[in-house]
Amino acid sequence: MDTKWKNRKKATSFIVFFAGVSLTLGGGIELLQNLPGDFWRHPDQVLQDDYQQSYRFRDYIAGHLENFLAMATDSYDGYYNCYDSYDYYGYAYPGIIQEGVFEREATDNIIVEQPALAPVEDLGMSAEELEDIANCWQNYSLPELTDDQWKEKRREQCQKLAQQYHEGIKKDQNLLYSIAYDGKVLYSNSELLPTDGSLTVPEDYNFLLQYAEGKVRIFKDGQELDVYGDGYYRDGSEWYVPGYHNFTVDDEMKKAVIYMAVAREPVLYTESSYARSNYQQMDNTLYWLRYNTLQTRTRLICYIAALGGGLALLIPALLCRKSRREANAAIARFTGKVWFECKILLFLLVLYVLFLLCVTQIYWDYGDVWYEWEYMIDNNMIDNIISRTLCHLPSWSHITLFWLVYLAATDLRRNRKVWQHGLIAKLYRAFSARDLGQPLSVKSAHRNGAAFAAAAAYGLMMLAGGVLGYAQGNHSAETVWGVGSLFFLILVGFLALQYRIGAKNMETARDLEALSKRISDIRSGNYAGYKEISDKRGGSESGNLTEATVKTEAETGDIIFPRDRNSRLAGHDLEDTIAQLEDIRQGMACAVDEQMKSERMKVELIANVSHDIKTPLTSIISYVQFLKEEKELPAHVQDYVKILDEKSQRLKNMVQDVFAVSKAASGELPMHMEELDFGKLLCQTLADMEEQIGNSKVTFRTEIPESPVMILADGQRLYRVFQNLFQNAIQYSLDGSRVFVTLQTDGCLAVASVKNTSYLELEKDKDFTERFARGDQSRTDGGSGLGLSIAQSFTEACGGTFSWETNADLFVVTVSFRILGNKA
Amino acid sequence: MESMARRDMSLRKGRDMGDCVLVVDDDREIVKAIGILLEGEGYEVLKAYDGLQALDILAARQVRLVLIDVMMPKLDGLSAVMRIREKQNIPIIVLSAKSEDTDKVLGLSMGADDYVSKPYNPQELAARVKSQLRRYTLLGDIHAGSHTGELRNGRLLYRTEDKTLYADGEPVKLTATETGIIDLLMRNPGRVFPAEEIYRRVWGEDAFASENTVMVHIRRIREKVELNPKEPEYIKVVWGIGYKMEKQEKSN
Repeated sequence: MDTKWKNRKKATSFIVFFAGVSLTLGGGIELLQNLPGDFWRHPDQVLQDDYQQSYRFRDYIAGHLENFLAMATDSYDGYYNCYDSYDYYGYAYPGIIQEGVFEREATDNIIVEQPALAPVEDLGMSAEELEDIANCWQNYSLPELTDDQWKEKRREQCQKLAQQYHEGIKKDQNLLYSIAYDGKVLYSNSELLPTDGSLTVPEDYNFLLQYAEGKVRIFKDGQELDVYGDGYYRDGSEWYVPGYHNFTVDDEMKKAVIYMAVAREPVLYTESSYARSNYQQMDNTLYWLRYNTLQTRTRLICYIAALGGGLALLIPALLCRKSRREANAAIARFTGKVWFECKILLFLLVLYVLFLLCVTQIYWDYGDVWYEWEYMIDNNMIDNIISRTLCHLPSWSHITLFWLVYLAATDLRRNRKVWQHGLIAKLYRAFSARDLGQPLSVKSAHRNGAAFAAAAAYGLMMLAGGVLGYAQGNHSAETVWGVGSLFFLILVGFLALQYRIGAKNMETARDLEALSKRISDIRSGNYAGYKEISDKRGGSESGNLTEATVKTEAETGDIIFPRDRNSRLAGHDLEDTIAQLEDIRQGMACAVDEQMKSERMKVELIANVSHDIKTPLTSIISYVQFLKEEKELPAHVQDYVKILDEKSQRLKNMVQDVFAVSKAASGELPMHMEELDFGKLLCQTLADMEEQIGNSKVTFRTEIPESPVMILADGQRLYRVFQNLFQNAIQYSLDGSRVFVTLQTDGCLAVASVKNTSYLELEKDKDFTERFARGDQSRTDGGSGLGLSIAQSFTEACGGTFSWETNADLFVVTVSFRILGNKA
Repeated sequence: MESMARRDMSLRKGRDMGDCVLVVDDDREIVKAIGILLEGEGYEVLKAYDGLQALDILAARQVRLVLIDVMMPKLDGLSAVMRIREKQNIPIIVLSAKSEDTDKVLGLSMGADDYVSKPYNPQELAARVKSQLRRYTLLGDIHAGSHTGELRNGRLLYRTEDKTLYADGEPVKLTATETGIIDLLMRNPGRVFPAEEIYRRVWGEDAFASENTVMVHIRRIREKVELNPKEPEYIKVVWGIGYKMEKQEKSN
């Protein structure tokens, strides 16, 4: 349950973190990439939902006003159409492109039909330029026309052009206009517009512009806008329309009256001619303007929301850093299992896929970027390319890239030496491990083989090179063959020598291997002859050993090391060493055997003695008991009997202890190993000795964990161990001091310790576990002097380790066992 | 313990000399000592100093119980036990200086009813003789069929109806808590109970520092029930695990 909750918490925290970072990154990047280019100039317009507030709209209106003014005075030449048909938001709209093309053609037509351009003052060209053009045109035969004729012709053209323009845009009812000059309406696409100077706005139209008397008045949503501000036109002024103090029109223009009304919500106007199966979209610029304003706004709001949401998610993610770290660890555990090569491949693959997708995406979105790139690459503008790429990469690629790097970083940080877990590393390790596990001779054979192969390959290469080189030297075939075979002979000789050295090395390696095996045998206590056979035969008599060894050689044919000059080892490099080792082996075998024998005899002696003492002791105890029950004895005799009773009981205990310790030391103690709780055993032992502890002058402090500490031991024996330790502590502790009994778990070890302060000065360098060692040398106290010895023997018999140390007056005994079924 | 033994002794003094005990050991002083001990308890004691002699006496006299040493000349104790078992079903206690478990098991499997190691505790020896004799004479018939509501384990008999415990046929006075523990243990002989479980089932509440409390009661019960409370045969501690009622194979 607990772990489940923990896992859930881990997963949740990571998911929150993931979502937070992804949203923040995605939102941020999209926002940066999609901010309109003019964001810094008009930051307030980014989230504008009223398209009529945008400067583009104002430009559009101003441009049209200018056109209409031109149309009103018959001087329209289509110039401004080029302006408003190009880019609005950096991308083109289908309608406008069409429109643009249409207008372009119209403009081109003018030039063809009207080779001689407008008067110099109208065009604003320098005299030289005009001369150039004129020279160009001189080659053509032009009809001779007077200036007035030209002017008339031009007026006609302009009218024609204006009419064309009017035809083009009049069906776009998003913009209603009426152009009047000198009280006469020249062009109008709507009946709804006022013609009488009143300022009523048609329904569904909320924007009205009136141009009259060289001044512009604009009404929006029924309110008149302040068009001119302080009356002077500056760079930052909103409306580029005539009527400022410093931006006026001539009298001719003042006669024009223009009304323009703009729909509140422009719609698409399309005209289809199904008969000719083509259709034409009207100007519709206003529709697209509004459409894009709203679109951009929605998108920007989405991005801002994503950014904000991501940042908001990052706060809880930061707060539960700990569980996220655990989640990271879990991820790292997972990634740690993946081969390093796979990771690298996967990383590169993802990068490549990302690259391809990004390229496609960029191509679709910004097709022309590539031309720039080629240009930039040609001009070594790598920095620019990189920044361009980063700018144009879609946000999801950034996010994917971020998580890829995050995963890689987590993996690198959490898993030590990630490269060690991989196919190549594995192969390398497998080979080196195989080599390690091999006997010395095989390793040596590998090395010799490799050296030989390398030498052979090198020699052959040299031979071939030499022969070829010689052959190039324009020598006759005979000399080439002769020199070749000479080289070959030298090579063969060299290789033979190499082989001989290798063989000798192999022999030494084999000897070394046998030698090291012998040494490790001796170290692990196998002093007997080379094979177990000699163990069986030799038994305990060391005298038989040499004989057994010799026989073993005959029987098994295995390598053995008798000091025989005729043996197969004669002449080997290591002959002497092996012989010396054999001497050491024999010496040690003898010594160990002797020692074992005497130890065994000692144990047997103790066992027999203790057994023999028991029978007379039985009588003594029995009769002392009778004496105790005699009521008529004089007081002093009763005293003697009491002493006899005490001492005979002590003798009895001692005999039992001696017997136990000798059995334990000889390893013949029967054990009943079972799984038991170490802590509980300590508690039980303490509870069992409660009376004794209560009667003593020391207090016991315990620190035993409540959770079970399972070990494998013989409970009865282990009880005896702690009974002895506690008794020891009670007996030898300073009055009023405390005995500390603690049980600690240290990884896979359970360590119990008993600490007490001795009332006697503890002798340094004294082995307290030695049999009959006593705290008090005078031996007047009640113990047998075997307590610690028994404790040690029993602990070791149970498979634990027993150790003790003294520090000033502090006596510390620790008993440690392996914990069963390590739960960690 | 001391006082109990005294009380037993005073009870016994008034009884008729009747139960005849044979003591066999090659050590005459020990035989004599046991003789004095058992005669003091009110038994008639016969003495033998080797196995053959013991068999002769058994053939001639009506003996109720045999105390026999293992290592003896002419015929060793265990062989003698086997020979006795061929004819008689009287209780036999083996007395030996060998105190290891394997020796005990060997003795018991040869047909002995009990095993006492030297140097013995005189009071314990007397108690064991008494226990064996009582079971043989008083409860010998009951061995065959056990009544419902009676749980038997070696020397112990527990009546579940009135919740009383009998040791060698004599009721043992137990407190309520002790009865609760005995009830639990006698109903589940051989099963090991952790202290916490005993505490929970007897006291009826959750255990806290139960080890000491349970141990105190166990010790008290032992003093009332066991022949030698220091080396209990019935209520045993399984070190590091819990407590149990040892199942006595012999009597079941």
